[in-house]
Amino acid sequence: MDATERDLLADTLRKTMATATGPALDSALTELGWADLLAEAPEVAVPLVFRLLGETGAHASLLNDVVLHEAGRPLEGALPLPYTGGSWVVWGRGVDAPPGASLDGELPLLISPAGEPVPLGAGRRALGWWLLGTGRAMLALARTHVLARTQFGRPLASFQAVRHRLAETLVALDGAEATLAAAEDDLGALLAKAAAGQAALTAARHCQQVLGGIGFTAEHDLHQHVRRALVLDGLLGSARELTREAGALVREGRSAPRLVQL
Amino acid sequence: MNVAEFRADLRRWLDTNDLSPGLDDSLDAQVAQLARVRRALYGAGWMRYGWPAGVRGLGGPAVLRAVLGEEVATRGLAEPGIYSMVEVLAPTMISYARPELAAEMVPRLLGGREQWCQGFSEPGSGSDLASLTTRAVPRDDGDWVVTGQKVWTSLAQYAARCVLLTRTAPGHAGITAFFVDMDTPGITVRPLRTMHGVDEFAEVFLDEVVVPGDRMLGRPGDGWQLAMDLLPHERSTCFWHRIAHLYTRLDHLLEQTPAPDSARDDDALGAAFLALHTVRCRSHATQRRLAEGGRLGPETSVDKILLATAEQQLFDTVRDLLPGVLELTETPWRSEYLYSRAATIYGGTAEIQRNIVARRLLDLGRE
Ligand SMILES: Cc1cc2nc3c(=O)[nH]c(=O)nc-3n(C[C@H](O)[C@H](O)[C@H](O)COP(=O)(O)OP(=O)(O)OC[C@H]3O[C@@H](n4cnc5c(N)ncnc54)[C@H](O)[C@@H]3O)c2cc1C
Repeated sequence: MDATERDLLADTLRKTMATATGPALDSALTELGWADLLAEAPEVAVPLVFRLLGETGAHASLLNDVVLHEAGRPLEGALPLPYTGGSWVVWGRGVDAPPGASLDGELPLLISPAGEPVPLGAGRRALGWWLLGTGRAMLALARTHVLARTQFGRPLASFQAVRHRLAETLVALDGAEATLAAAEDDLGALLAKAAAGQAALTAARHCQQVLGGIGFTAEHDLHQHVRRALVLDGLLGSARELTREAGALVREGRSAPRLVQL
Repeated sequence: MNVAEFRADLRRWLDTNDLSPGLDDSLDAQVAQLARVRRALYGAGWMRYGWPAGVRGLGGPAVLRAVLGEEVATRGLAEPGIYSMVEVLAPTMISYARPELAAEMVPRLLGGREQWCQGFSEPGSGSDLASLTTRAVPRDDGDWVVTGQKVWTSLAQYAARCVLLTRTAPGHAGITAFFVDMDTPGITVRPLRTMHGVDEFAEVFLDEVVVPGDRMLGRPGDGWQLAMDLLPHERSTCFWHRIAHLYTRLDHLLEQTPAPDSARDDDALGAAFLALHTVRCRSHATQRRLAEGGRLGPETSVDKILLATAEQQLFDTVRDLLPGVLELTETPWRSEYLYSRAATIYGGTAEIQRNIVARRLLDLGRE
């Protein structure tokens, strides 16, 4: 896929996600040829689609497909996925979210009995891109707000404490993006999911703070992204768990792998 | 020459040519070792790859210098901070010195025959570099007379030459750079004690120092641009060297860490590893961009923040996981830990980097 085709696809996806979410988005993406994209160009399709889910705030049950695809199984049904703290969940297909089941009330996540072990690398990469997009969405909301709102006769954006929080957020997101772009093996995917989870949580903390009271209301979009970040972080291993796992791994190996080479 | 080939040949050569440092870790010994390593690498050609023919380089992409520095750092052949100084000094000469001057001087630096220093900061001008006041006044014969003071000038006490920023007119456009011989009458160097015990920097006093007009770098007023043009070099090759060095420190910690006391130790090790991995991935992308002909700009402040943060986090982890070691035993960890505290100060402080990110990358307007 060349750059023009990719831009075109991104455009189409963005428009689709602006008007449909949940089961409706699942159907729309099926029509757009999601299954073929995943089969033929996963290295383009997964970052693009999942990141846009984050940026637009839409959701779909595509994680099932990514995990099934990596496992070499047909893209049907929903399978139990490990969640932080030893839980398992199922991401329902074609269903609406049951009320109160998860902190993010839009996601059709249900606690399930433990399932079979599944390969996790591709799913972690996909969720990492999603978390990155969610983080970028929060940063964009915060940026707009601090430029528009004035206090003490100045825009909030002119206060250094505010600027540094947003700078911190951008650094975390850009760092995470670099790890995602470089994630080729399972350890790379684990680290990238950890970096992306951490970056999204950093974005949530700083963006919430600079939005003040308005960011705490249900009318403002921020809370939806904060909820999404919290819930997606736990799926297939939280930033905290994955970081600990990476620590145990390098301790036992007595050496830190250099995963990217010039 | 392609990168993989270069690396393989270089490794083979280093395996059979032992350049390991001796036991003396004084600064004198470090500087002597650096000169030895440069001489050997230059003599065998390695140090000449990635540099243009105009300064007697052997050409090839700049990334070869990053690969060389990574090998040097990974094998612990030279102190990485001072090893990397050529990465800012030589490109400055290549871009701004008269071609004959660059051709004459740069090989002396690369070949380990001379050390050079960079005289930018002054007692009254650190973060606010553009406020510097060391004056250069033209004489009728075309020479310039320089008077003022520089501070925190790394390796000034060993340096034969200095890339010096001076003021020739008001404002950013009134800063002019010179390439000054450190043995010129009127220059006094007073080494400063540092907190980590390696007295790497000095004060430099300039009292009516006469500098020939043909030692100006660029034209009058180019000094600020010269200082800005350093950043892409510092933030590509130098950073890659430093990251390689920090991985060796993490490995060293892993060799020394006993079975963990608690899962919290794994949390700390994992976080230190993740921070290093993150900056390595970022730096990798930055160098790829440079190799594809991209211009590096304010986005490299992100690399700088990630690196300084990772460095301090790593040494904080050393202190936590080897309790009492750096406080109570004479180990290199002590000096390395202390030196890591400077990572958020030199090369533009942590706050200045965040100011740049806010202004230039997030486009938040003025403070
Ligand atoms: C180990 C080491 C080696 C060095 N080597 C060299 C060298 O070889 N050549 C050379 O020229 N210089 C060198 N330096 C100097 C270095 O570049 C300066 O120390 C640095 O630019 C900071 O300047 P300063 O020390 O005057 O601190 P200041 O600028 O006085 O800053 C003090 C504190 O105030 C904060 N601050 C300042 N301005 C702002 C602002 N606008 N917004 C928010 N916070 C602000 C800073 O972030 C910092 O925390 C070296 C320094 C060190 C530590």
